[in-house]
Amino acid sequence: MLQELSYNLRVVWACAKKDMKSALTERAFTIIGVFVPVNVLILMSLFVLAGSQAPTAVVLQDTGPYAQQFYVAMSHAHSFRLQKATEALAQDLIETGRIVAVVTIPPDFDMRIRQSQPVRVDVEVNNLNTDFTNDIRRAVPLSITSFYARALPHLVTVTPEEHDFYPQDTDYLPYLAVSILVAALMLGAVLPAGTGSAREWEKETVKELLLSPAPRWAMLVGKMLGAFLVSLASVALVLAVLILVIGVWPVHWDEVLGYTLLTLAIFIALGTLLGTLLKQRQAVVALALGFPFLHRPFSSLPESFPCTMQLCYSSTPFITSHLTPLVQA
Amino acid sequence: MSKDVTPGATMAGRPGDASVPAIEMVELCKDFGKFRAVDHLTLTVQQGEIFGLLGPNGSGKTTTINMVSGLSVPTVGEVSVMGYNVRRDARRIRQILGSVPQETALYEELSAWTNLDFHADLFGVPRREKKERIIRMLELVQLLDRKDSRVGTFSGGMKRRLALGRALLHDPQLIYLDEPTLGVDVQSRRAIWDYIISLREQGKTVLITTNYLEEAQALCDRLAIIDHGKLIAVDTPEHLKQTYGGSVVELETVQPSDAVAQLRALAGVKDVVQDGSRLTITTQDNSNVVPQIINVISHQGEIHSIAVREPNLDEVFLRLTGTALRD
Repeated sequence: MLQELSYNLRVVWACAKKDMKSALTERAFTIIGVFVPVNVLILMSLFVLAGSQAPTAVVLQDTGPYAQQFYVAMSHAHSFRLQKATEALAQDLIETGRIVAVVTIPPDFDMRIRQSQPVRVDVEVNNLNTDFTNDIRRAVPLSITSFYARALPHLVTVTPEEHDFYPQDTDYLPYLAVSILVAALMLGAVLPAGTGSAREWEKETVKELLLSPAPRWAMLVGKMLGAFLVSLASVALVLAVLILVIGVWPVHWDEVLGYTLLTLAIFIALGTLLGTLLKQRQAVVALALGFPFLHRPFSSLPESFPCTMQLCYSSTPFITSHLTPLVQA
Repeated sequence: MSKDVTPGATMAGRPGDASVPAIEMVELCKDFGKFRAVDHLTLTVQQGEIFGLLGPNGSGKTTTINMVSGLSVPTVGEVSVMGYNVRRDARRIRQILGSVPQETALYEELSAWTNLDFHADLFGVPRREKKERIIRMLELVQLLDRKDSRVGTFSGGMKRRLALGRALLHDPQLIYLDEPTLGVDVQSRRAIWDYIISLREQGKTVLITTNYLEEAQALCDRLAIIDHGKLIAVDTPEHLKQTYGGSVVELETVQPSDAVAQLRALAGVKDVVQDGSRLTITTQDNSNVVPQIINVISHQGEIHSIAVREPNLDEVFLRLTGTALRD
């Protein structure tokens, strides 16, 4: 019994060790396995950041306190990435497609507010992108309400009383970071596991395994362990990029690591199955690259994960401070 | 027809006994859909012999060997190896079986040493003996100086030798070699033959599939000729030649002879092939018929040369199957 267990463990470790050595010597597939998930992570983050806030210019023709408060209300709407501009600069920016809207606060803004007269705030929208256009259409009235609630609270008689489910807000990027992380882990697991299994068939080395007296389950577990250990490299890289570059910081480390390992285990099993069925590494890579898109990572995955797996957004993320303007420009 | 071969019941002796046949196949069949790859094959390989399965590509040799090693399940019939039934004791059989598959199944991205090390772990070679055995095997196949080289850098012959060393690493009782010298240069082929012959001297049983007649003749104690999955003949190479070959008379005449019909009519003549002025006559018994052949030909014209020789296995195969071996 003990002897059998010792032999089985030896087989498991031998298969894992062999697969790790193979992965290290076949650099092309290892590089794909480690770096593609990071690429996916960065690419998706850029998509998220590029679409999260509408770049908008504000032409402040009045610099009075009410005009300033209106500007602050807009900046708190979470829908604009605001920049102050002159009328000429704003026109140039919208015509060259570098912003999607120009909001002009008229020179008599403060005076009219004080006299309780109607104020006309001009909003020029480049309605090429429906997402941004709808953001602007929703956020401008929201900013007006918010402005009145702050500047002239006696005029606003209906106020919401908010009760938050979580102690802190989760921004759009950290919310989607769970999906992005899962998509990246999916690739990081399916690629090494799938190519590791397919390699045995493609290079006909599977006979060495099939002709051995070792139990099939031990060889399978060994192969999955090897893929797991190789994929840890891509996990480390993905988490490092997520935390250090994008600036998303896990609130509960234990849960993030736990679910990361669970996700890895699930997708390594799936990758092993795929590799065994497809028997061709190129087919595995091609199919695995399409996986994140099959799972609608931007919508459904966060809902399938426990709500407690929270991530918060660092205040000085590299991407938001350096890359987002480049993407949105 | 299916027949159960329970160790110790229908076999002579018990599993592991020296008296038990190394391999016993009874009415073995293998179907792939409607195609029957192996057709009621019944064969016995004794311990300590080098046994050859000879047949053209697609004749069912590899399918037969896959059933012996448990890689493929017979559709009908039974196989036992050293008294163990492949259906029930596949793991036990794999422990006593060393395999050199046609494709070598070596990890080309890994070194020779790593390949053997992995094999030793898979086959449970005792840890304290592992290093020593790997060195011994690498020495045997003359690859010790290349132990750290990647297998992908090896020639075809070196890969075959390494695969052979790997198959012997766990000290198997039965070794099967599927086309052991396929794609190997002449020098390496000779070396591999020497290793195989040395295995018999160590008391190992060797099962070889080949479509090289000279290889079968040089190595095998007994041969089974297989075609379209059926057993055509089984015997020693010498016996096969005597039984199915007859003698061959090669004649060259000054003018092309028109006596072929007369020659075919002679009692004891099996076949006559004419190629210009050359005649190749296969006989059943040269001692009686050769004078008659000479008599017939000399009436037609002058004989330039005459030679009588033993048939080769190619001619035996041609006679038995009606096709050349490498068709």
